[in-house]
Amino acid sequence: MTGFLSAHGYNPGPTQRPMTAGAICGVVAALPAVAVLWLFGSLEVEAKILSLSVAATLGLGFVTMALAGAAYGRIFGRAANDRRGGWLFGMAFGFALWAAGAVLVLPIASSGQAPAGPAALGVCLSLMVWGCALGLLIPFIHPYLHERIETAKSAELGPNAAASQSARRTPQGDGPKC
Amino acid sequence: MIRSVDFSKAVKAGAVGALAMEAVSFALRLTGIPAVDLAGELGSVLIPMDHGIGLAGGLAAHLAVGAAWALFYAYFIWGRLKWAPPLQGLAFSIVPAVLAILFVYPQLKLMEAHGDVLTLRWRDLAEHSLPGLFSIVVMHAVYGLVIGLLYTRPVGYRVGDTPHRLAKRRAFDRAPDRGRRNPHGFLFATGIECSYPTIDHGRWRRDEMQSTFHYRRWQQDFDLCRRIGITHLRYGPPLHLTFLGPERYDWSWVDEPMAELEKFGPEPIVDLCHFGVPDWLGNLQNPDLGPAMAEFAKAFAERFPWVRFYTPVNEMYVCTRMSALDANWNEQQRDDKSFVTAVCNLANASVRMTDAILEQRPDAIFINSESSDFTQPCCPDPKIQQRADLENERRFLPLDLIFAHELSAFMKDYVRDNGMSDEQLERFASRKVPRRSVLGIDYYEWNERLIDTHGRVEALGELFGWYVIAKQYWDRYQRPMMYTETNRMDAADAPRWLWRQWHNVQLMRKSKVPLVGFTWYSLADQIDWNIALTKAIGLVFPVGLFDLNRDVRTVGLAYKQLIDMYADVPEFRECRDVMELMR
Repeated sequence: MTGFLSAHGYNPGPTQRPMTAGAICGVVAALPAVAVLWLFGSLEVEAKILSLSVAATLGLGFVTMALAGAAYGRIFGRAANDRRGGWLFGMAFGFALWAAGAVLVLPIASSGQAPAGPAALGVCLSLMVWGCALGLLIPFIHPYLHERIETAKSAELGPNAAASQSARRTPQGDGPKC
Repeated sequence: MIRSVDFSKAVKAGAVGALAMEAVSFALRLTGIPAVDLAGELGSVLIPMDHGIGLAGGLAAHLAVGAAWALFYAYFIWGRLKWAPPLQGLAFSIVPAVLAILFVYPQLKLMEAHGDVLTLRWRDLAEHSLPGLFSIVVMHAVYGLVIGLLYTRPVGYRVGDTPHRLAKRRAFDRAPDRGRRNPHGFLFATGIECSYPTIDHGRWRRDEMQSTFHYRRWQQDFDLCRRIGITHLRYGPPLHLTFLGPERYDWSWVDEPMAELEKFGPEPIVDLCHFGVPDWLGNLQNPDLGPAMAEFAKAFAERFPWVRFYTPVNEMYVCTRMSALDANWNEQQRDDKSFVTAVCNLANASVRMTDAILEQRPDAIFINSESSDFTQPCCPDPKIQQRADLENERRFLPLDLIFAHELSAFMKDYVRDNGMSDEQLERFASRKVPRRSVLGIDYYEWNERLIDTHGRVEALGELFGWYVIAKQYWDRYQRPMMYTETNRMDAADAPRWLWRQWHNVQLMRKSKVPLVGFTWYSLADQIDWNIALTKAIGLVFPVGLFDLNRDVRTVGLAYKQLIDMYADVPEFRECRDVMELMR
């Protein structure tokens, strides 16, 4: 199944930089997400649960979102460049982050404390908004980060490839830059 | 791009599925079962102050979530399981049901709570009443069944319908066309996959240019060709959308792309008939196919007098076999008589189209593409040998007819027994084949086949290779050749396959066989070719130089390297075989 999915779209292309694109877009997408958190009063609640100042919570949030964006770029790879479906994949990823991070990890890390009421709604919505924005942004920002076709070269793709056995052994042969 | 998805169909299916969930919830509550009221719960969280507006808001939110899940189904699940569509939807519904039980529903309760912070206990996460759990499972099962039922055939369209129009032409910085600097150069080609057969007994049209978004991205596609140095593009305007009836044409599907190609390149090899015919002509059993297609070819050549390269009918053997022997496309017959009729009609169309084009453009060059097939018997069993012999004779039939090659005694009997008259045979045999006719040979890893001890046909992979198989065609027809299609289904292995096929080309040239070009087919990934377009699933077949987002694949870079390396080598820059053909 994984091999099938890889062949059909997940392996990033040879000129792509999915992790860099994901990290950049992760930070940009955090801006509307922070607005949602602020609107629902979730930012202060999260800071209280984490015993941090609001500024430190924000800083931690941006770093986390950059890392999460890079992870999204790596996991979804070529599919993250899809202009029609990107927002959906991003939202799915945002949902997964919410379920794993806000619902499971945050209470564990804070002795069972979790946001409730509108603050809980704000956390959920902010991650969905973040995911949606991330998925929307990558297809538009990533092309600016691609290595150009005109200059991209790889010895593995030249004439020696005719005798290469490595491509057959490595299903991830469509490898990205980073 | 991982799938070709019909967004509007998925959104509608998801919204209807969510409505069905609400109806089930309502029905359960009417019967006294305390079912979960998702719209009500969502509404009380989103708009807690007003129950009426809250319920409406909750319902809207639920429909949106239903639509999003249906899109997820369309992208990741649909068509992957070989089950009836409602069962696929039912299986998929396990995912949202589990997430609803574990996360969404408990969190909705948390969101309804008063206060900013609560201390959770683990058992809070799984606190459901049994009837509540039951209702969530039943509601999601109904949702799954509904989306499975409604979301089918995401690619193609009902016969008689038309897809969205071509995108408008726009101005942008175009890459230079390499072919123009090198008019006698070897042809480094690719193609836009443009098959348009019907399936489902003539009710559903497959249209690869629609499925692969060429109608929207045609300008970008041509530019991508130029960027990797492609000199010639196999390009088939949509016959079924253009040729509307006798002397009725809709050139809006063709004019702008052809104007772009004329002005900026690459040079097109125009493919006039690619596995399908217009609705009004029915299918390949129609004896009027020849005169009708000749009329279209004449009109096309009149309208675009600058076009020099033509493929009148693409892969006649594949088309007739799939339509009349294997019951997959168009007429979907499975008998020798239908096959011979289809071959006769299509070969007649090819000949008449060629003649019609020559009237307009006497120096036209015809690239007659055909699939190179070979069937190997597994053992000395006479029945298996006989079957392999039949296949190895039958593969030549359409080319024998258009190249006026005498049929073997065995094939003469075969076509006569299946309805071809001596007069028809004589007409083909006495044809004067135009000098500028090129034998285009396509080759894929499944073209060599074995008939096993059970009489089953199995793909052999690259046993003898293009050189050996194509040489059989050269020995028979002695026409200038071109390698007109190849690709590799395993995207990671595609660069290796490309270079190996190129070395076949080099060996063929060294053998003094006139060879004018090579083609990686196609420019972008294709849809559903892993199942030969027989069902409208929407699966990506990752064989393109570019994927469907138009991001380059490794084989795209490898082909660029190949072209950069060879295009200016003297024997390819001033290719003797091309010069002879152009003469």
